[in-house]
Amino acid sequence: MRSRNGFLAEFRKNGSYYAMAVPGLLILFAFAYLPYPGMIIAFKNFNPLKGIYGSDWSGFDNFKFFLDNGDFLRITFNTLWINFNYILWGTLLAITFALMLNEIKNAKMKKFFQSVMFLPYFFSFVIVGKLILLLFKNEHGLVNELIQSFNGEPVQWYIEAEHWVKIIVSTNIWKNVGYSVIIYLAVIAGVDEEMLEAASLDGASRMQKIRYILFPNLVPTLIILTLLSIGRIFFGDFALIYAIVENNGMLYPTTDVIDTYIYRSLINGGQEYGMITAVGLCQSIVGFIVVIGSNWAVKRYDKDYSLF
Amino acid sequence: MNQSKAYKISFMDIAIYFILIAFCLVTLVPFALAIIVSFSDEKSVVLHGYSFIPDNFSLSAYKVIFQDGVVLASYKITIIVTIVGTIFSLIISSLLGYMMSVSKVKYRNVIAFILFIPIVFSAGLVPWYLNVTNNLHLKNTLLAYILPLALNPFNVFLLRNFYKSISPSLSESAEIDGAGPWYVFYKIITPLSKPIMATIGLFASLSYWNDFTMPLWLIDDRKLFSVQYLLYRINTMVKYISTHSNIANVGLPSETLIYALFLVAIGPIILLYPYIQKYFVKGIMIGSIKG
Repeated sequence: MRSRNGFLAEFRKNGSYYAMAVPGLLILFAFAYLPYPGMIIAFKNFNPLKGIYGSDWSGFDNFKFFLDNGDFLRITFNTLWINFNYILWGTLLAITFALMLNEIKNAKMKKFFQSVMFLPYFFSFVIVGKLILLLFKNEHGLVNELIQSFNGEPVQWYIEAEHWVKIIVSTNIWKNVGYSVIIYLAVIAGVDEEMLEAASLDGASRMQKIRYILFPNLVPTLIILTLLSIGRIFFGDFALIYAIVENNGMLYPTTDVIDTYIYRSLINGGQEYGMITAVGLCQSIVGFIVVIGSNWAVKRYDKDYSLF
Repeated sequence: MNQSKAYKISFMDIAIYFILIAFCLVTLVPFALAIIVSFSDEKSVVLHGYSFIPDNFSLSAYKVIFQDGVVLASYKITIIVTIVGTIFSLIISSLLGYMMSVSKVKYRNVIAFILFIPIVFSAGLVPWYLNVTNNLHLKNTLLAYILPLALNPFNVFLLRNFYKSISPSLSESAEIDGAGPWYVFYKIITPLSKPIMATIGLFASLSYWNDFTMPLWLIDDRKLFSVQYLLYRINTMVKYISTHSNIANVGLPSETLIYALFLVAIGPIILLYPYIQKYFVKGIMIGSIKG
């Protein structure tokens, strides 16, 4: 009784505040909570005519079918491999660029480099896709023209799948490195000036200052950002990959990730909905465990930086 | 002359400049080429490929863009979606963020938890898609662009943290004078939060302007294509335009049209970039310090 009263009394007292939350919560419910019940399709033999609730139950058939059909290994591997490379090389490059920018004493040049580096973050995925096309088009693409001007053999980029992990990872890094550099530069700006001066007085070289003072200061941020991206490792970068690869089947062997696979099956029509919902459910559950795990790790490392 | 040591250019400086300039060229060169191609003559592009110094300049791609109703209509869609979406998103996010920042609201953390769950556990594309099409009936409506992107939980948490940092004595004294929560939010809190509103508004605008996933999933009515989606579908669109417009007879520039549309789609961002960059930098720095 008491808690009920408390409940009502709270709404009477702070009703205006709860009213403020209503529009936002409505959007959240409509787009994030309302889809949850639909996840039961994973256990159904989905028939668009019968609907989500009318379709027949099929137990774990959808999961079995997916595990057996061979796509499972390929798309899971591609997702993890692309993300792993992105996290590794992206982090290395972001730190290197941040340290390099910090060494530039000319403020205007530093600002210019940083601005150009941040610029691709503002490009839409479609724009990025068209830039990649300009570079790698089989005929007349910039890269092939360059190869030919050195008398090399042009590469059939849009036919040969083996190049595309490199291209996608590099593109992703190129697009986002400016963002991470800003974070790392902010950390560098917070490094104690006196410590650096004292090191100079003691005769430390620039490399030594980077190695023994600046880099160690970046490590906590590095670990946190890495753990946070590991939390997303089971999720492919759908928009980036799909804007670049579109529906070029030749490139699927290396570029098809869980998210692009799900999307393609979605447009293929209703009979596969059960199976791809099952795929999505596995992805969400594994993703959830990884997020919670990586956050737990961040928390152990430094409580202030955990996501929750 | 004592300072000469400080000015000495070392090998390291040269290496750093070299690498950074190379990286900048990776961005600037293809971008410049894209723009040059858009001003090139279609025939020479088809015959001789892309060139930094085109054989013939031509504005025919831009003529198509500005004459053809399909392209202009898509531009209008993008502008409407960006403006309406940003305003709507700012209103609902700031209200929700403010509500969660007021310490006397008992269930504010319950709300925060409700907001947080979808970040770590999503239903997946198929249930989302079936919900948006069958329950909400958003397929082929302008709302399909606006509503799904309107509430970004990270932005709401960012706003909440900002509101938390405002001294509560401000609103308390206004409440003693008889001001209600809405009045306090509108007249006292909002004027104080202009910088963060600008930052979050710009993040929202960018995501609306650049998004192509919502139309990819939810729009197949040509009248509702945004610029980004039109550019994505350019190959099918070229076929469509050539059968529906009078330009067809002259021969439609398709290669150059891609990059003319490219410039039109990215133009406003490039023009505004020098002025808006600092807000994004600020936003990233706030966001990286404990969300």
